[in-house]
Amino acid sequence: MSALARPSIIGDALETAGAWLLALVWALPILYAFWTAFHPGEFATRFSLLAPWTLENFANAWNAAPFARYFLNTVVLVTMILAGQLVLCTLAAYAFARFTFVGHNVAFALVLVQLMIMPDVLIVENYRTMRLLGVLDTTLAMALPYMASAFGIFLLRQTFKTVPRELDEAARVEGCGPLQTLWKVYVPLAKPVYIAFGLVSVSYHWNNFLWPLIVTNSVSTRPLTVGLAVFSGSDQGIDWSIITAATFLSVAPLLVAFLLFQRQFVQSFMQAGIK
Amino acid sequence: MSKSWTTKLATAALAAALSTGLGGVAIAPAAAQTEVSFYYPIAVGGPVTKIIDQMAADFEKENPGLKVKPIYSGSYQDTITKVLTALKGGDAPQLSVILAVDIFTLIDEDAIVAIDDIVKTDEDRAWLKSFYPGFMENSQTGGKTWGVPFQRSTPVLYWNKELFKEAGLDPEKPPRNWAEQIEFAKKLTKRDASGNTTQWGIQIPSSGFPYWLFQGFTTQNGLRIMNTAGTQTYFDDPRVIEALQYWIDLSSVHKVHPPGITEWGTTPRDFMERKIAMMWQTTGNLTNVRNNAKFPFGVGMLPANKTPGAPTGGGNFYVFKKSTPAQQEASLKFMKWVTQPARAAQWSIDTGYVAVTPAAWETDVMKKYVAEFPAALVARDQLQHAVAELSTHDNQRVTKVFNDGLQAALTGAKPAEQAMKDAQREADRILRPYRR
Repeated sequence: MSALARPSIIGDALETAGAWLLALVWALPILYAFWTAFHPGEFATRFSLLAPWTLENFANAWNAAPFARYFLNTVVLVTMILAGQLVLCTLAAYAFARFTFVGHNVAFALVLVQLMIMPDVLIVENYRTMRLLGVLDTTLAMALPYMASAFGIFLLRQTFKTVPRELDEAARVEGCGPLQTLWKVYVPLAKPVYIAFGLVSVSYHWNNFLWPLIVTNSVSTRPLTVGLAVFSGSDQGIDWSIITAATFLSVAPLLVAFLLFQRQFVQSFMQAGIK
Repeated sequence: MSKSWTTKLATAALAAALSTGLGGVAIAPAAAQTEVSFYYPIAVGGPVTKIIDQMAADFEKENPGLKVKPIYSGSYQDTITKVLTALKGGDAPQLSVILAVDIFTLIDEDAIVAIDDIVKTDEDRAWLKSFYPGFMENSQTGGKTWGVPFQRSTPVLYWNKELFKEAGLDPEKPPRNWAEQIEFAKKLTKRDASGNTTQWGIQIPSSGFPYWLFQGFTTQNGLRIMNTAGTQTYFDDPRVIEALQYWIDLSSVHKVHPPGITEWGTTPRDFMERKIAMMWQTTGNLTNVRNNAKFPFGVGMLPANKTPGAPTGGGNFYVFKKSTPAQQEASLKFMKWVTQPARAAQWSIDTGYVAVTPAAWETDVMKKYVAEFPAALVARDQLQHAVAELSTHDNQRVTKVFNDGLQAALTGAKPAEQAMKDAQREADRILRPYRR
């Protein structure tokens, strides 16, 4: 008995050690950023327990760029994308999951094809479309290409497919129309998937850089990531203190939100099966 | 089915865009308001955006009816991406600062106009001739001028005078040639009892774009690394291989340089923290080091071998084809205004970039600055030995091939000769279509 138990104890210990090691490796950049952001520049690459703490880096970063405006822009952008995605993806997924119409297989295949294409490949084509629509240098231009998310459609369709037909039929017997059924049966059941998808979408678009950079020109539309690029000039040597402080400023809302809702997020991810 | 729908929508939108576009052109002369959008890469620290904004505002005040709208477009790399995307999307800036070496890319994309074609008066032509020839090398090809030097730099040697004194060297005398460079670096390298190096003699960073500083070595070894037509490189020339071997030997044989790839962005910090005694760095860092180093430091020309030598670097103004004659005229006016001696001098003092015309060095403000800070003169004096930075057709790819070869040799993955032969073969393959 004990002979059998021993390997599993060793196995457990190894697993725990491995988990700690991975967690540490994962956390190191953040810990370094934390250290550098809160200490004067000369301690950026030196570790000393006696190093004085300071908030000066944050003040410098805040004053070097119109951060408040960038924050607002990012929040508006992320909200707009998520709202668009939730509406479009829900409707599309419902159609693909529960209705048969002419060419629905072809249409779904096209959505899947979109999953395989890196958005960066389409930059020129998207830019041309935005110009034709006359929306260059607006929040809408940054948001539009991402609203019909293939990933969201696919994910929700798979979720809706797992909803038992009986529930659907029961709702109809009670007199619900198709949209009411969607709202009263499908959407509530898919809540964990919505939360998980929302988190992935928000964090992706909060951090997106290239497309917003290319399609916007002015301070009044640009998001945080593009504003942050002001600090990354390596021509003159990098001031790590300011960069890390600015980075903290821009990811802080996400970090705080994640810490607050951590339990819900983790549960949603487990149920939705996204990693 | 859905395709035809989008096509219709696009056509409708196109029609709308066209009609407003034509309307705009028709109205513009009447309103006598010409706007130039100006993409500017933030390749230097944050405060520079304020200087550029101020310049644009001052220019508009002095030139009623003209507007310059600066658009900050990230790094040089991001800027060219943004410009080329906008161009292919049918929309482009009228004026931009882009790397001087992207000249062939921009010509091949048919994006820019030659400056010779938009200058009109003799005064304009005289202005075009007023720049240092060293900077014009990267701005001209096929007998035409395509770019106007603006934020240009060149690498120089920085040394820590305190550490020179500690090592028993004359703090006012930097190494003048390759042999002295090794000899000094040996004296400046310190090891602790267990054999770990606590202070390196010299650091020549090799991350990101190692070709640039390496061009210092090859120029000193008496070779220009490409032809002026941008169709031929000489990566496998014995002088290149010899130069590369010298760089490798600094760490592998003489042990005075940190091994492997050294980071470009953190080298100035290593220097300021006394981890290295000498470094090769761009003049763009002068202001940074001057403000932050807590010890006296010297700035000198890069050590010579067969000859002294260094590449130039940095960004030029380009004027884009997709602009009205009025906009081109406004762009020309702005470029002339920004590069006039007093303003070029102030720009150089604020940023550390090298003032681009000899006249700028003759201004009072520059003379005063140089009297306080003679190190600024070194870059100017080195210019007479400076050559064009590596620039060819399909520049991004050719440069990448060369960089990869250099880094493979520096990390020891390939011997120097093999790495350079491979790089040359690959460059030949890329450049063949341009040789016709």
